[in-house]
Amino acid sequence: MKRNWMIALVVLVVVAGYFFMQQQAPQPPKEEPVKESPTPTPEAPKAEEPKAEEPKAEEPKAEEPKAAEETVKIGYLAALTGDWAAYGQTEEKTARLAVDEINAKGGVLGKKLELVVYDFRTRAEDAVNAVRRMIEEDKVVAIVGANGSGINIATAPIVNRLGVSQIGTVSTNPLVTVDEKGEVRPYSFRICFTDPYQGKLIAFFAAKELKRMKAAILYDVGNDYSQGLREFFMKSYAEYQGEVVADLGFRGGTDVDFRAQLTEIRDKGADVLVLPNMGKEMALIMKQARELGMNEIVFVGGDGYGEFMWEIAGEAMEGSYWINHVAPEDPAMAPFFAAYKEKWDDECKEFVNGVLGYDSIYWVADAISRAGKADPKLIRDALEATKDLKLHHATITMDPKTHNPVDKDGVVLIAKDGKGQFFTKIKP
Amino acid sequence: MTRVGGDRLPSSIRERGDPYLATLIQQIINGLSLGSVYALIAVGYSLVYSVLLFSNFAHGGFLVIGGYICYAALRTFNIGIWMAGALSLVGAGAAAILTERLAYRPIRERTNVTLYLLIASMGMSIVIENIFVIVAGGRFRALPPVIPTTPVNFFGLATTSAFDLLSLVSAVVFLGALQLFLSKTRWGLAIRAAAYDLRTAGLMGVNVNRLISIVFFVAGALAAVGGIFLSVRYTLYPQLGAITIKAFVAAVIGGLGSLPGAVVGSLILGLAEMLTAGFISSQMRDLVVFSLLVVTLLVKPTGLFGKSVSEKV
Amino acid sequence: MSGYAEGIIILLCINAIAAMGVSLLTGFTGIFSLGHAAYMALGAYTSAILTVQHGVHFFPAILLGGVVAVALAYFIGVPTLRLMGDYYAIASIGLGEAIRLILENWQSVTRGARGYPGIDPYTSLPIAVGFFVILAIFMFNLINSRFGRACKACRDDYIASSLLGFNTARIRVVSLMISAFYCGVAGALLGGFLSFIQPVMFDMLKSTELTAVVVFGGLGSMSGCILGTAVITLVTELFRPISQYRMLIYGAVLVIIMVLRPEGIMGNRELLSWIKDPFGRRS
Repeated sequence: MKRNWMIALVVLVVVAGYFFMQQQAPQPPKEEPVKESPTPTPEAPKAEEPKAEEPKAEEPKAEEPKAAEETVKIGYLAALTGDWAAYGQTEEKTARLAVDEINAKGGVLGKKLELVVYDFRTRAEDAVNAVRRMIEEDKVVAIVGANGSGINIATAPIVNRLGVSQIGTVSTNPLVTVDEKGEVRPYSFRICFTDPYQGKLIAFFAAKELKRMKAAILYDVGNDYSQGLREFFMKSYAEYQGEVVADLGFRGGTDVDFRAQLTEIRDKGADVLVLPNMGKEMALIMKQARELGMNEIVFVGGDGYGEFMWEIAGEAMEGSYWINHVAPEDPAMAPFFAAYKEKWDDECKEFVNGVLGYDSIYWVADAISRAGKADPKLIRDALEATKDLKLHHATITMDPKTHNPVDKDGVVLIAKDGKGQFFTKIKP
Repeated sequence: MTRVGGDRLPSSIRERGDPYLATLIQQIINGLSLGSVYALIAVGYSLVYSVLLFSNFAHGGFLVIGGYICYAALRTFNIGIWMAGALSLVGAGAAAILTERLAYRPIRERTNVTLYLLIASMGMSIVIENIFVIVAGGRFRALPPVIPTTPVNFFGLATTSAFDLLSLVSAVVFLGALQLFLSKTRWGLAIRAAAYDLRTAGLMGVNVNRLISIVFFVAGALAAVGGIFLSVRYTLYPQLGAITIKAFVAAVIGGLGSLPGAVVGSLILGLAEMLTAGFISSQMRDLVVFSLLVVTLLVKPTGLFGKSVSEKV
Repeated sequence: MSGYAEGIIILLCINAIAAMGVSLLTGFTGIFSLGHAAYMALGAYTSAILTVQHGVHFFPAILLGGVVAVALAYFIGVPTLRLMGDYYAIASIGLGEAIRLILENWQSVTRGARGYPGIDPYTSLPIAVGFFVILAIFMFNLINSRFGRACKACRDDYIASSLLGFNTARIRVVSLMISAFYCGVAGALLGGFLSFIQPVMFDMLKSTELTAVVVFGGLGSMSGCILGTAVITLVTELFRPISQYRMLIYGAVLVIIMVLRPEGIMGNRELLSWIKDPFGRRS
């Protein structure tokens, strides 16, 4: 009796797992485990299940023979819900834009590109299964995303085991492409520069260009990006003989009031405030700093800059500097912004994520055509061999030892007259 | 010695050579203004708890609804802040009533286990957040500068923003109005009776369903006020409701179900947060908030102003 | 078996282990917690630090992850479990967040918010299913044992059961410790599954998910909580193609089940409840 019970339980779990794989979904016996909830309750969700399932279940059957020949599938891991939704939603839009443009020009290798977008609600355990599903169910040849280092580090073992390349859009942690033993992860790439590099750029700019030697830093203790940038900034800033007079933290998400920290920074007499954070927090910090009468201090931030910050901080933005990947008024980018506006009837305000997502798709498309065949292994080799590839925002060359773009210029933006304007390009 | 603070600190303090006093005053003002916004939200938690005895985690959702209505009204219809504010209060109140009708009333009528209401409220908060993620997008939005945020100098002692004073004043006005409503009107009397014992109030002829609707309307409207202030100060986005966890902590510290408690708890929490960040370490700020919560519960579970309920046998 | 199905089943087993722990506490002892993700975090970090820095084999490391969670549960439980009903639930929010914040700030040990990388991916399918089956057998025996019945007595009438001579305070603490062990083990397995952990993975959202799943499955039904985990995990997986609406559906399912059937899918019955007392009599 006892044994039967446990066997039933295990079988239930295993069968339930199988049931939700699309190939087996239509077989009636596999539906039982879920129907065992004998109540009328889940009627509403139940009623919807077939809807979501049918197209999914039929698609592979009806289209796969043709689809395998006609389209090349690229996965996109986007944060469509949760705290990063603002960035993930933009990335999805720009990726779709890039795919449409490439397809309009005849696709790649005579085949059309198809984008498979999955959400991961900013949770690693969800992203892991999304990636497995992309690779094994949807048979994507490469994956773009996610826009967070923690997620990329968690998915790296899987993409490397299964042999499909993944390109992080704004995943700046070095561990994304190189494991903790210092060896490159063969199938992990990134299009952005790394935290150490960006930290160095910020330190270089503050100390050498602005000649401000007393920095305060205000970072998000709960955010890995922010913590990393702070660490590398402090290291490089010390090398440039700068002094960090105040090193303060806050908690992103719930923490939206920074006046306590700002008051302390003011009392310590810092002349530059470094903000290695996400857009919203930086805008609030600047606004609150000016409200506290801190009119002298200069703000320098990283690639978290977004045009929406003007809506929040308003005039407090004026005169702040941003070390970034992309300059929005770069003439090469104008067609992109116009196309985005036309397709989505919206300004591309989170343009860093947007442009990097957009160019990642172009990069993958280029790698596929250089590989000559939509084969994940060949695409990986082509990605690694990328040299002087002219994308929209930059020309990139891969370092095969780290899978980071080599010596990417840092673009410094200055916030002026209501928008971020090109200030200079730096390379320490 | 390095030069401290430069000319940005009020000169009167600098001459007296007492930067700590200036920082202290500054942090106290910051703390009170933060606490006043918490208070608007915490009162809503407490009001619902006092009648239905459950913590309505969808309360953050009402705040977001209020914020978005105000945003839409200001951006799309170009009406004044007073009109937009009124619209948002009514809208959030109506949404609160709707939430109660759809999600809580059926459960309430079927069982008296408040745990089910709690889970339903968590579900509702997820639903509301994601409706906005889908409809409005995840983007951070800022209300037009309808509320002045110009710096105001306090007798040469500290600087704060006009907005802080305004939020403090509005909190006092709205909470005062609530107090009048509860103490002077018939429905206020009924709510107080229901807070004492909902069943008995029902037996005495109070229309319980309507009473609960009114309670939710008031809670939703207050949340909308908090929502407008928060979205002016901190921007508007679907996850804004997450901030209410601190207001909830404040409500618990003050004593769930007690309105003066919610206000006092909020002010204590606001001050504790700001003073910790200013004098100990900003990393410790949240740790202090949650430790304060646990310690309060251990020392006096019903909070500072809570009515002590003895276990019924 | 494809890796995707494997991934889902491993995650299912991990979630089910944690849910069983919460179910013992919430469904059978009547203590409502909103902070159990913290015990998962403790288990995950203990096991990660032991395997990576001290070269301990993963098997004892997973168990030690559970043990550390139990130890902390004891120190937390003794003072805080005097709180009844909602008040413990609220305190558990504070405790859970406080533990997570400590992990985040204690950079020398946990490496802070940037996360703890390089964990050996030891959670394979047999390990996850094995742990799940063994812990499930133990749990099903436990709830039918004398201790399990004492828990239910505490849940149904705290005062009457203490009058009957049960040491109710002790029962509550022990129940919390066992549930912490389950969550600790689940956390350690999750660390091995992802090979990377961050404090933010164990936030309040995770805690509420755990409790929501237990209520969804049915308070007081161990098989219900496993079924609930399966349904919730699979529903989120099933709706993956319509990504944006997924969380909306998840929230709506929670509300709808509370409205239509507040006692959860299974109520307080067990699956196959017609077989009376499937594990025979034990005392």
